[in-house]
This record gives sequence, C-alpha cells and structure tokens, in this order.
Amino acid sequence: MSGSQLLSMRGISKRYLGVQALDDASLDVRQGEVMCLLGENGAGKSTLIKILTGSVTPDFGVIELAGEVIEVRSPLEAARRGISVVHQELDLVPDQTVAQNLYIGREPTRFGIVDKARRRQEAADALERVGAHFSPNARVRDLTVVQRQLTMIARALTVNARVLVMDEPSATLTAEELSHVFTVVREVASGGCSVLYISHRMEEVFEIGNRATVMRDGRTVAVHDLAAVTQDGLIAEMLGDQRTLVDRPLRDGSHTIAGGLDIKSVVIPGVLEISGITAPRGQVTGLIGLGGSGRSTLLSALFGAIKAQRDVTLDGRAYHPHSPRSAISQKVGLVPEDRKSQGLMINRSVWNNLIEPSLNQRLTMPSQRRFTTPRSVVSALGIRLSSLTQRVRELSGGNQQKVVLGKWLVDASTVLLLDEPTRGLDVGAKADLFDEVHKLADSGTCVLLASSELPEVFANCDTIHVLYEGSLAGSFHPGSNTVDQVLQAMLGVKGAQ
Amino acid sequence: MTQVSTQGAVTPPVGRGESRGFRGRTRSLIVRFNLLLIFLALCALGAILSPNFANPNNISNLLQQSSLVGIAAIGMTFVILTANIDLSVGSVAALAGMTVAIFIAGGMNMWLAFALSVAIGLIAGSVMGGLSAYFTLPSFMVTLAGLVGIRGLTYLLSDGTPVTGIPDQLAYLGSGRIGPVPVVGLIFIGVTVISALVLNFTVFGEHVYSTGSNPEAARLSGVNVKKIITITFAICGGLAALSGVLLTARLTVGQPTANEGLELDAIAAVVLGGTSLFGGSGGVFGTFIAVFMLAVIRNIFNLMGLGSFYQMVVTGVILIIALLLNRLLENRGKR
Repeated sequence: MSGSQLLSMRGISKRYLGVQALDDASLDVRQGEVMCLLGENGAGKSTLIKILTGSVTPDFGVIELAGEVIEVRSPLEAARRGISVVHQELDLVPDQTVAQNLYIGREPTRFGIVDKARRRQEAADALERVGAHFSPNARVRDLTVVQRQLTMIARALTVNARVLVMDEPSATLTAEELSHVFTVVREVASGGCSVLYISHRMEEVFEIGNRATVMRDGRTVAVHDLAAVTQDGLIAEMLGDQRTLVDRPLRDGSHTIAGGLDIKSVVIPGVLEISGITAPRGQVTGLIGLGGSGRSTLLSALFGAIKAQRDVTLDGRAYHPHSPRSAISQKVGLVPEDRKSQGLMINRSVWNNLIEPSLNQRLTMPSQRRFTTPRSVVSALGIRLSSLTQRVRELSGGNQQKVVLGKWLVDASTVLLLDEPTRGLDVGAKADLFDEVHKLADSGTCVLLASSELPEVFANCDTIHVLYEGSLAGSFHPGSNTVDQVLQAMLGVKGAQ
Repeated sequence: MTQVSTQGAVTPPVGRGESRGFRGRTRSLIVRFNLLLIFLALCALGAILSPNFANPNNISNLLQQSSLVGIAAIGMTFVILTANIDLSVGSVAALAGMTVAIFIAGGMNMWLAFALSVAIGLIAGSVMGGLSAYFTLPSFMVTLAGLVGIRGLTYLLSDGTPVTGIPDQLAYLGSGRIGPVPVVGLIFIGVTVISALVLNFTVFGEHVYSTGSNPEAARLSGVNVKKIITITFAICGGLAALSGVLLTARLTVGQPTANEGLELDAIAAVVLGGTSLFGGSGGVFGTFIAVFMLAVIRNIFNLMGLGSFYQMVVTGVILIIALLLNRLLENRGKR
C-alpha cells in the first residue's frame, strides 16, 4: 500500500487578489496511497490543487514527481505528466460519446484517420476496469452524475495516471453510487496510482483514505495516518483554536408558530405526487431522499419555477405561484441546489446579487448609502468580504452560499426553501449556515430543507419527510424515530414507519 | 455606509489583508478607461498627421457622420448585454427610413410619420425578440431572417425605387446644425445619456445585466427574463428605426438600399467598446467612444488622402488589436 514517495510539493506560496491563499504549504503523497486533503473553505486546498494541475502558477515552491523537479505550466502539461483530475464540475463534452471523451485530444489514428473501432474497444476496456455498465457509444449528456465520474476515472486510467486528483467527488453522489466509486478508487490505488482525495465529509475520509493532510489558513498544519487519529482531532485541527465544533443538540420543535405552508398536494404527472406535508412557521421541516426522489422538484414546484398542479395554502390562504416572481411577491425564497448556475451572478458584485430579489418592487436602483439592509445582512450572516462591490466569484464557497441565503433576507422572506444548502461546504461553514437557519426559524420563518445528507437533516430538522421516487414515503421526528427508520424509508423499504 | 460597519459588517479579506494599493488602483483605472486612452492617442495622432484634424469643422463632420451608426449601436448594446444579437438593424433602419418617406409622400403629417416609423422599428424588434425569448429560438437566426425578410419588405414597399419629398423641417433634423453642433450629434448624445441612466440607475437596467450574467439565477430571483429580452430587442429596433429615419432626413430621400451593413458597424462598435458578447458586462459609454474611434480612424485616412480600400483593411486590423488589448488588460486585472 504505502510505497515510496511519489509526489512532493514544498514551500508553495501563492498570493492573489491581495490575499495570501497559500503560505509555505506542502504536500507529500506516496505511491499507491489515498491521501485525503482536508481544510475549511478558504484553507487553500483548491489553490494547491490548481497549482498541481497547472491552472495556477505558484509564486514560490517546488513540485517533485517521482524524484524529478517539474514545472507544471498548464493543465495539458499536468496531464502529460500523469496528473489526472476528477473535478466537481466534470469537464466532459456533453454532446460527444463516452469513447470520444476518453480519448479527446489523443485519438488513436490509422493513416491520420481516427480509428473508431480501436477507440471504441479501448474505451470499453477502460469502462470495464472501472465497473461501468454503459456503452462507450453513450452520449455524455445522457449519463448520470456517477456515470460521468466513472468516465472521468476511466479517462485517468487510459492516460496511465500516476496521480489521480478527486475534488469532492461525493458532493453530487448518493450513498450507493459513492460506494461504487470507492471500490474503483481502491482498485486504482492498489494498481499503483496515487489518489489525492478532497472532501468535506469526515466519514468518507476515514473510509477511503490512508493518510490525511490538514490545511488551515494557507498552511499545511498536520499530516496523519488515518488509523491513528480521531475525527474530532482532525476537525479541531482544521478549525484551529477559533472555535470547537458542536454536535448540535436536536431541535426541540417547540417553536411552532401559527401559519406556514400546508402542502395538500403537488402533482407533476409521471414525476411527482406528493400530499400531506405541512411546514409550520417556526420550524425547520426536512425533505430527504436519494437522488431522483423528487426533493428538488418539489421545492421548484413550490417556488413556481416549474409547472405543477398545486393545492397548497400559505398561512391559510391559497398559494398558487405561477412564476418565481409571484412566489417572491408572497415572501417565498429559494436557495437553489447549484449556487453557481442557479443561485448567483458570479461575475457581479455581492451588492448586486444580494439586492436582486428585492428589486422587483422597485423602479430605480437603490443607493448603497441609503439602502443599508444588505449591509446588515452581510454582517448578520458574517459574510467575509473586502467590500460590497467585490465580485462574488472572489469569495469562498461558504461565503458564496451565504450570499445566496442573504438574497432572501434582504427582503425578509418568511418562507425559505433550501435545496442542499450545504453542498460543497466544510464543517465550520455548515455549522454557521445552520445557526442562521435556526435563528430564522426561531423568529417565525417557515423553513423547508431538502437534503440527501441524513445526519445533517436529523440534527437540524424538527420533522423529516422522506421522499422516494416522487412520492412521500414517510414522516419522522428526530426525537422519537431513529436514523435507521429514516434510512429504510429513503431506501424504499416498505412499512418502515 | 458607516452606520453598520462599526459592527464589523465588512471584514478585511482573509489572510494578510493588504489592499490593492496605489499601483493596483491605477492599473484598474487603465483597464477601465483603456479605450478612452487609445481614443485620445488616436486623436493626438490625427492632429499630428493632419493640421485639419483639430479643425472644429472637421470635428463637427465627424460627429455628423458617426451619429447614425452610433444611435443603432446604442440599441445593439442593450441586446448584446443580454447575451443576444440583432442582425436585423440595417434592414429595420431601411424599412423605417422608407416608411417615413412613403407616409409623407402620401400626405401624412411629418411628425406623425416620424413617430409611426420609429414605432414600426420598435414593433419589428419586439416581434423578433419575443420570438427568440418565448420560443427559445437563437436570436442570431431569428434576426438573420429579419435581416433578409425586412430588407425584402422595404424593396416591395417602394418597388425598389427611392422615394423623395422630404420636407425641410425634417431635413434639418438630419443635416442641420445648432451653432457648430450637428442636430443628429445632439440626438446621439441624448440617446447615449438616457441609455446610460436607464442601464445604471433603473431596475430594468439592472435586470438587463442580470439576464446577461446568468439568466437562470435571474429567473429564480424573480426577473421576467423573457420580457427583459423582448424589451431590449424593442429598444434596439426602435433606435435602428430612428437612425434610419434620420438618414432619410439627411439624404431627403428614402432609399431601399440604405443602411446595408449597419448591423456589422454597430456590433463592431459595441464589442470594441468593451461589451462582452457573452452578456452581463459592458455599457453604452464604451460603445459611444468606440463609435467615435472608428469614425476618427476613417477620418484620418481621408485627411491623408488614402482610399477607402486602405481604410477597410486598417479598420479590420485595428478591431483585432483593440480586442486583443482589451483581453490582455482584462486578464491582467483578474490576476
């Protein structure tokens, strides 16, 4: 397992946008091991990876691969050196086939013409090795997320990768999908390829990793053998002495205030048929289910973002949002699943993003000096920024997510639909976000939280509704039900309740 | 601004928070106003190469020549800001320039004819924009169809021949001057100022930018994206028609062949002016300067007695150089 030193990054520093992103950071990976890279958002993990994969040039530092000092000036060069990346945002060409994607830029040719038969055969072999059961002729756009990840891993195999970088692969996967990916990762590692695994989920880290490197504030603070360290110990190191992670006590559910959403039925023929969910004010109502269970679809339907037959009341009155705009006018807000493509204008300022939903009532733009609510929202949520005119893309993931939430606080939305609000966030940022959500609920907001992470839902919701293949599979209370009961309902086991 | 910040609303950037400093700020100013600097440099070059360049008469002519393209380019800016494109502006301008002449020839009050013709452009724009937005058709194709179809309609209306009989008052709008300043120049400046105000200070303007930045996020924030796109096309069509009517006024004749290639001049000015073809960033100020820049280049060539063939080649080269320079400065600003 733990072979000789394969990759070594030493003394890596990088400053950009006036921020010291990396300060003398280091990373060592042995041949054939799974090295986990841990750290809060903004700790410097992504920058370090970007340097390794050639998309960012470091100010200082040395990278050694198999004892040879290398300079990685571009992603192409990284690939040529045997460094392969499976990104969170999977960079495959959606309209091409799996085989085309596997050999993109290095198509096997015969007399200068692409040898399609050979490509198909080799692609099929590579897919076989990662245990993928889809055709190399399938179009990437028709694949599920896990299939795309397997494609990326297969691609790494076909280039004989020496280091496989996996950047939060689990963020979009369900549990079974992930376990399959893990099996593949273990095989890849046992074949001598080193894996650099980046994730926020502690359980995963312990399940898949051999060692872990912990980063904080742009520095490497510790390297551990995962067999010899506890989860709490790692978390404490990630957070530093700034705060200790609290295992949140269960919400007591005593805050119920009259009113809220009463979902008598929401139907999208063939997709969704939900009835009998109430989300009272003052509570956090959880919606949990595996990928494809209809969590997001239900929230979108409640927000008027997709067409549906709705029989829903809000505070006792009929609620028929025919568009997001009409939902917003009734003080309903949605934090969508994907903050980059749905939640934010990434190239615009924090200010412009925050005020966006509240503009619908106005004709002219408010001035930053007069309209101070966004500023107090920034302060209340503890969003770290240099100024309100800073572009959102320059913020860390956790802060970006807070901006998406903040959009709905500027105009004081009283119903919040949160779709995977902690996706891609680290422990500290998650805790922060839930603190805010609980404060909002306690002050009378109706919160509907959709998530696929059971512990998160269990710890933060007053009631939990489980969706399974588009319908309601059961309703639970964290106080009186066990995690196992909820899990069984999620997996579609009948009579779980 | 200071009220809440005492509670620590705005924390300095993470890490050792060194602000961008003077050099950084100067650089960002250069990035922001690089176009203006290039423009001024070109003007200086013009003044050196030809003593006639700085002559008030010449500058007045410059304004006269560039204003009509400029008005259309301002409309185009709105459309491009939403990440769309309007290829039909030349044809729409020709149509409006033709209808105004026909209406007047038919005995209609000339101001009513003026207003109706601009309204025709507005409607043409909103139909094309609406088709594109509500049926999710690519605006490139819809307006390409408009370019061909509306030009054909213009020929049909006049049977392919020019229509004369523009009254003096209308002609004054097209070629008259107030003191040394051409009337069309004033209209161009007015249109630019109003557009800048709309884009920067109204919610509609903000929605134009949000639609161009991320239409899905905008929709989920309550922006009626389809309506916004349709309105920008209406504005573009309306301003193209205004430009066309003013051309007819200047020539005192409505010509079915007028304004051919206007769309390309307008798009060139918008993009040269720093508005991104991907939408969401840019503005009319850049377009305004770029329009003059293209006119100044042409003017310098004329003053130097070089033919229009040279002008075309050099204009193409300068467009590429300006785009490259913009991109370089932009990338530098990001790092």
